[in-house]
This record gives sequence, C-alpha cells and structure tokens, in this order.
Amino acid sequence: MISPLLSRPLRWLDHPAGVLRARPASLRTLLSIIVIFSITYGLVMGSFSVDGHLRGRQMLYSSLKMPLLLLATFAISLPSFFVLNTLMGVRDDFKLALRSVAATQAGLTIVLASLAPITAFWYASSAVYERAILFNALMFALASLAAQWLLRRLYRPLIARDARHRLLLRCWLVIYAFVGIQMGWLLRPFIGHPGVKTEFFRAESWGNAYVVVWELIVKSLHG
Amino acid sequence: MLTWLRHLDRILRGEATKPQELAGGTLRVPIFGLAVVIDVLGIFYGACMGLFSVMGGTTDRWKQIPASMVKVPALFLLTLVITVPSLYTFNALVGSRLKMLSVIRLLTASVAVMLAVLASLGTIVAFFSISTTSYPFMILLNVAVFGISGVLGLRFLLQTLHRLTRVVDSEEQIIQPELAGPAVVVGGPPPVPAAASLGALVHATPDPLGKHVKKVFRIWLIVFALVGAQMSWDLRPFIGNPNQPFTWLRPRESNFFEGVVKTFGKLIDSGDKNHRSGWRF
Repeated sequence: MISPLLSRPLRWLDHPAGVLRARPASLRTLLSIIVIFSITYGLVMGSFSVDGHLRGRQMLYSSLKMPLLLLATFAISLPSFFVLNTLMGVRDDFKLALRSVAATQAGLTIVLASLAPITAFWYASSAVYERAILFNALMFALASLAAQWLLRRLYRPLIARDARHRLLLRCWLVIYAFVGIQMGWLLRPFIGHPGVKTEFFRAESWGNAYVVVWELIVKSLHG
Repeated sequence: MLTWLRHLDRILRGEATKPQELAGGTLRVPIFGLAVVIDVLGIFYGACMGLFSVMGGTTDRWKQIPASMVKVPALFLLTLVITVPSLYTFNALVGSRLKMLSVIRLLTASVAVMLAVLASLGTIVAFFSISTTSYPFMILLNVAVFGISGVLGLRFLLQTLHRLTRVVDSEEQIIQPELAGPAVVVGGPPPVPAAASLGALVHATPDPLGKHVKKVFRIWLIVFALVGAQMSWDLRPFIGNPNQPFTWLRPRESNFFEGVVKTFGKLIDSGDKNHRSGWRF
C-alpha cells in the first residue's frame, strides 16, 4: 500500500478521490488513507504559534494524536456494532457496513486535510489561542458534516436492502460519538497553549468530558 | 469451546431460532456449553469493569478485578437459578406446552445474548474505566450498559418464545388432524415463513398465540429484572469505591433503586462541591 504511494504518489491519490465519490475501497486502502490524511491535518493543527517559531514537538504530538483519536475510537466502538448487526439479523451485510463506516472515517480525514491549508492560513493571520481553538472546532464540524453526508450515501444501498440498517446506523453514530468525545477530551491538547510547556498528555486532563459538562451545568444553575 | 461459540453465533444471527429449527418445540442449543460461554463473556466484562478500581492507586485495589470477574457471571447465573422454578410453574399453570428443558434452554440462550451484548460493550466500559476519575459516572455507565444488554436479551426471549409457541401449536394440530377436523387445519395458523434473513429480534408473524403464556413471561421478565437488579446490589462492589478499602462484599443495606437515585444525587453534589472548591480536572 505504501510503496505505490512512494513510487507514484499521483496515481495513489485516485484512492482518496474514489472514497469521496463513495466508490468501494479495500479496508487496507481506507486505513492508509485515514493514517496519512489525519497525520497531515495533525501537523498543521499543532503548528499554532504566537511568536512565529516553529513548534516541532507539538506538531509531532498532534500528528500522532489525530490517527490515534480516530482509530482508537473506531476500535473501541466496533465490537458492540458487530454484535448489534448480528443480533438484528443483518450479519451478512456486515462487511459492507464495516467498509461504509471505515470509508466515512477516511472521508472525514480527507476533508480535514483539504481544509488544512485554510487552518494554516488562519494561524498565519491570527495569533489568538482561543480563536485558533474555535477555528479548528469549525473545521472539525465542517468535516463531520461532510462525513455524515458521505455516510448516508454509503448506507443508502444497505438501507434499501433492509430498513434495519437505518436503526443500526443511528446506533453506530451514538456509540461512536459517545466514545469519540471522551477520546478527544483525553488526548488534549491538540493545539497546545503557546505559553505552556509542550506535553503529550496533560496531567489534569485525565478526567471525564461528560462529568465536566455536567458540572458546568450544575455550576451555571447554582449561579 | 469453539463449537460453543459457534452456537452462540447461531443464536445471535437468528439461525438457531428460525421456525424450521424449532421443530419439536425446543431450541437446539447445548445448555452446558452456553453456560461456559456465559462465564467467559462475564469474566471478560468483569475485568473491564474492575479496571476502574485499579486506576485508583492503593495497594490491594487489584483484587477488585478478580472479584468482578467472578461476580458478573455469578450475577446472571444466580438470578437465573432463583427465577426459573417460579417461571416454569406458572408457565405450566396457564397451559403452556413448553417442557422444562425447553424453558431452561430458552433462558440460557437469552442470558447468552445478554452477555454477548454486555461483553461487546466491555471495550467502551474499559476505556472509560481507565480514563475516568468519577465514581458516580462509572456506576451510571455500568447501569446503562447492563440495562441495554438486559433489554436486548429479554427481547430475544420474548421473540423466541413467540416462535416456539407457534411451532408447538401448529405441530399439535398436525398430529391430531382427525380430532381437530379439516376446517381447523385449513383455518389454522398460516404456514411458518421460511425467512432466511429473519433476525433474532424480529417478530416472526404479526399473529400472537398463547396469550396467557406470553403474559406469564412478561410478568416474569419484570421479576427477572427486579431480582437481577437486587442481586447486583447484594453482590456489590463491582466497580469499587475509590474512597473505601477493598472488600469482597459489602454489608447488607438499602436496595438497588435507592442506590441509583443516590448516585444521581452525588453527581449533582460533586458538581456543586467542585464549584465551591475549584476544579479537579
């Protein structure tokens, strides 16, 4: 998979182009797309800097964390998706379903990587940390929307074959989001505050995203 | 072991509960084999659950993992043992033709479905066990996961029961065609659909038979859920309170439902406390 990428990179780009057009691709191709394109966005994401110095370490960490975030979330969510598919009686379609959700991940990373130049441009034009976070959130939201659209398209033949796939798709999204949010929270910082020493993990980030949100709600209710 | 896992797979795929497989009014599954599979899946989930305690720090915390590995399968098997006799008795009382062995097979298969779902959610629970410091959150997450697997397992039970009742009833009419008369045979239940892709949770036909039997099973589902919930309370701790030393069992007090409500309260309180004393995260 990697050697054709190195020998003929332009030909290799046909694979991601095919993913965007919802063409079938092998799981290995999808995996390599996810890794390569998420590393690309991670590199750009971690390059935020106030004084114009290159932050190599943060770029390295972010580029490692992006594929970790996607693949670990995927791996943790997969067993329950598999059992639910089996239990609903559509196990014969599971290969296709798996490829569809994997292609969605690949699509997400491709869209993100295509947005990376805009993120870099934003970093170049604004040196405010909070705005950099917000801008990245916006890019992720955009990519998620695009991925959702792709997922619906990939799932259309499955749903046409059996309406139970619609419910399973929703289950997948709920499970994936539930795990993904916590994974994202855990792997912080992705951008890294320029004033703070660069670390792979934040010691104080070892917690639970949902409990933090819940405490924010309670705090706001108590005034 | 592999053959038994294959049996579980057939149950999950709905192949073991296809109408033509249920001839004779019983599920063709090995009870002992499924019990072993249930144990293995329960042990796996117990390990995922007990991980939270190990992340706490103190020395004998690791004991929670073996404790939970024993307790999760015990929880399901004990609940089954406690509730089966009354189920069979009432089942026979309302005129069901299901034999004791069929009932036990059906229930073992349902618990196996439950454990399969539970174990498949185990990776998520393990991930949160490692990454979370909030004890109330872990309790509620585990309650939710057990709830999901319980609902799916019991749904499997009801659907399979529905199919079994149909098969048993139609067989009775085939055996005694003269007694029942030709009119009944013609007007009898419609032919059981072959439906190759019928899932394990899908209604076989819209026409329910054996209403009393279904009612008994429905009531029993509630009994099973209540006994199971209270059993989980009696076998505590499964997760391990980080502020208390390790114990195999806790003294008897209160009950499951009071406990869940209190946990919600604690989550609210902890938010309030953190608000006053600064953030922990």
